[in-house]
Amino acid sequence: MIVTDLDHVDPAVFAARTGWEAKAEGMCRGEVCVPAPGALRDDGSLDVRIVAARLGMPLVTDTATGIHALGPATATGHALSTAVAADPELITRDGNPFRLSSLHGRKVLLVAWSSY
Amino acid sequence: MVTVALDVEPEHTHRWIDAAAPTHPSLIDTTHVTGELFGFVNIPMAVWIDEHGVLVRPAEGASIVRSPLRDAEIPPGLPERIDRAMREVQKMPDHAESYRAAIVDWAQRGADSPYALSPDEVVARSQPRGDDEARASACFELGEHLRRTVGHDAAVPWWREAHRLHPANWTYKRQAWTLVTTPEGATENDLFQGPNDVYDGNWLDDVIALGGGEAYTVEPRL
Repeated sequence: MIVTDLDHVDPAVFAARTGWEAKAEGMCRGEVCVPAPGALRDDGSLDVRIVAARLGMPLVTDTATGIHALGPATATGHALSTAVAADPELITRDGNPFRLSSLHGRKVLLVAWSSY
Repeated sequence: MVTVALDVEPEHTHRWIDAAAPTHPSLIDTTHVTGELFGFVNIPMAVWIDEHGVLVRPAEGASIVRSPLRDAEIPPGLPERIDRAMREVQKMPDHAESYRAAIVDWAQRGADSPYALSPDEVVARSQPRGDDEARASACFELGEHLRRTVGHDAAVPWWREAHRLHPANWTYKRQAWTLVTTPEGATENDLFQGPNDVYDGNWLDDVIALGGGEAYTVEPRL
């Protein structure tokens, strides 16, 4: 996840990108919740440093631009923390947004390919 | 069926999509976020998602048709690197027939299919991810962001680092290589991705270094 300001991350934006939601129990994705005391600030923003530490998300920074990138959680030691499918916003051939959740109720075989 | 192209340049996918004229959703992932979220590390790979939005198979090699390259006669006299590349391709395991049959079984029987895994099995069988792999993901994403917002050269050190941290992630490497080995003005991406001045690796030497064609794909455990 690209982060421009470590001190002001909207929990909704964080959830949409990573799938991890800030809840009373902690940071949750599907049925998995990881306690993260202090992660949700009084002003409603997310303290990404705490979240990163709790979920095992590496943070890298480009010093020339000050842009950060937060890697995925490593809590399970696997690419998946839960079997609940992620729902990233992708685009169609014509550039329109598309989410896999629009296909709920149908089986989906999601096949990755590339032009290279 | 939904296809997703992991391509930082969406227009590179258009000629292929247009030629296929798909009737299914044909999507493009310009940041490789599906690689991070599902565990795709090469192509073709696939995940199966049930009617409730739950994965019933993790990311795994997803060929459904045996490539003619696997059985093609290698003509004598080819340049050495091309000859070797074809031989490595022919070593790649082929599960096309059994994988296609498994898909059909799941489509017909749903949760009763033996190929539909439990949530715990799906997580346990998903790609391994430790700090190096997760850091590589962050590096690749940062490189893609900088390429788009600053310029191609800004991406290179981050993509080099992603390659170093996660050498078995072929989408990181093939994506980066093809952008520097494809001649300017070419109508399609370079697939051979040979030695270049920008990155330490290239397709053939990296395939050999990581165990040859036999180890190139993530074999489905059917």
